[in-house]
Amino acid sequence: MTASSATAPSGAVYDRGYRPFEGTLGGRRAARAAVYRASLRRAVGLRRSWRQKLFPWFLLAVASVPAVVWVGVAYITRGTPAEAVEIITYREYLGVSTALLVFVAFAAPDVLCPDRRHRTLPLYFARPLTGTDYAVAKVGAIATLVFAFSFLPQVVLYVGQLLVSDGAFEYFGNNLEVLWKIPVATVAFSAYFSLLACAIASLTTRRIIAAATLLILLLGSSGFAAGLSEASGASERPDGFQVELDEDGVEGDAPVGTGPNSTIAPGPILREYEDPSSAWGAVDLLDAPMHVRDLVFEGEVIEVYLAGVDGAGLLAVSVYLLVVMTSAGTLWWRYRWVEP
Amino acid sequence: MALVETRELTKTYDAGTVRALDGLTVTVDHGVVGLVGANGAGKSTLFRILLGLTEPDAGTVVVDGIDVATDPIGVRARLGFMPEHDCLPDDQSAADIVSTLGEIAGLAPRDARQRASDVLDLVGLDEARFRPVEGFSTGMRQRSKLAQAIVADPTLVLLDEPTAGLDPAGRQEMLDLVARLGRFGISVMMATHLLDDVQSTCDQVVMIDGGRLVGSGRTEDLLETTGVVRVDVGGHGARLVDELGAVATLLPDGSVELPAGDDRIDAVVDAVARAGLPLHALSSRRASLDGLFAITDRDVG
Repeated sequence: MTASSATAPSGAVYDRGYRPFEGTLGGRRAARAAVYRASLRRAVGLRRSWRQKLFPWFLLAVASVPAVVWVGVAYITRGTPAEAVEIITYREYLGVSTALLVFVAFAAPDVLCPDRRHRTLPLYFARPLTGTDYAVAKVGAIATLVFAFSFLPQVVLYVGQLLVSDGAFEYFGNNLEVLWKIPVATVAFSAYFSLLACAIASLTTRRIIAAATLLILLLGSSGFAAGLSEASGASERPDGFQVELDEDGVEGDAPVGTGPNSTIAPGPILREYEDPSSAWGAVDLLDAPMHVRDLVFEGEVIEVYLAGVDGAGLLAVSVYLLVVMTSAGTLWWRYRWVEP
Repeated sequence: MALVETRELTKTYDAGTVRALDGLTVTVDHGVVGLVGANGAGKSTLFRILLGLTEPDAGTVVVDGIDVATDPIGVRARLGFMPEHDCLPDDQSAADIVSTLGEIAGLAPRDARQRASDVLDLVGLDEARFRPVEGFSTGMRQRSKLAQAIVADPTLVLLDEPTAGLDPAGRQEMLDLVARLGRFGISVMMATHLLDDVQSTCDQVVMIDGGRLVGSGRTEDLLETTGVVRVDVGGHGARLVDELGAVATLLPDGSVELPAGDDRIDAVVDAVARAGLPLHALSSRRASLDGLFAITDRDVG
């Protein structure tokens, strides 16, 4: 960009000359991509000490182990009566991925808080980058990791199930719908937790405060929803109605052992609803993405406490969108102006 | 084409009660420019506006031919910025920081790593660049900040108080670096309240106070035109004053002083010869920027 006028060395320590950059600089897109890459690296501990690498990869292992175990069990029980028992469904596996909440709680503050704490933001915004670009890149990096950590185990589960099934083509044909349901539900799950975590992290310079706030908010709202639902005297489910797993792994309300597709004799109860149905279940912010997941997989909310409530689907989607939009608005507001 | 051109630039804070910039009109050419003013004079506000991070209430700013109001991103692509405050993440190495900021400035990752290495070498952080900046001295941190400002080879680098907090040796090193950037063809605008720094480093100076322009121009010219010429004619100063006219002043010791200017010394020598006076001594003394700033500030105020 600038022309160099080479000077003779004067003996100064720094006198090593200067080479102007003769290539082409990228614009906003390149800047956004650079922030995204830097955030990804930081979140998984690349270019950092081994201690900072340990945590994210441990969580990835925690999120993936059940899938690997299931594939192993399915292989071992192949051709035995136990083969028919489905240990975990794709829908349920996304619930296992909620363990990634711990990752999000620590990773999002780690990629956002230091920039404000160390007053690095002016260095970013003195470059071809807007506040929106910055927030999109940061949320995108966290969402990418949450998506990857949630989606890859599902892939392991699917491929494993495909391989241990009697007929791979038959399994593929019978489970075509999961090929879109899994990614869609995982995107909804990733976007929700990433946006919420980043929005909270944008409000403080202290990582630990952001992490604690997120966990308290989600777990607290869950407990709050449970308490309100119990206290509201909401309608109990009819006595004797419990939940079993059908052949296709879907939960269904039916008297024990009498479900139309039940493969289990009366006696063993896989899951049981002991909780009342209540609209207060909608304030459970931890379960909000699980409700959306239910809608994607089953077309209705089947997770406590919202299950069985009239208009539960609309309520669940409304709460989900409210949280997502509030989080996005908070991020926009926090990064609209940055004073050097 | 001027590098920076502002017209009637005005910026107020706190519902108009604080005027950070008050109709600032100034033109700056390529080179090393000192932006001089006391704390609160409006230097940082001017930088924020140049970077497109703050909108002025009125007026226009054009940087390298681009209007900041219409294309702030395009302007920022041509600028480097070194803030006054500490702004480096402690847990990262200087190489990582500069390289990442180079990428954000638009360099490809490979280019960014190479450029980071080059500019960190340039500022004297060769081996140290791989250490976390946590353990850096103030001077090393300042040099890291300078390196990130120039990593993408900007047309203009804005330096906000680059010598703040440095010991005399570190300050001199920083000023040497700034002067060298100018020789490399990178224009620099250095905000400072230390006039000595400007006088020793900058070829242009812009002086502001209370958001208003106090004076601007080439440092040499400003100092030249505000210097003085003193003549000792052995107690016959009154006759020389008559010869020179109102421009000359008779001092108590009998010598004569008059403002410096083009051909002033030749005019004095001619006047002494015409009056047939003995010329005992003739000296010319430049004003310091301190003195100049005090004079012009008083005149404006």
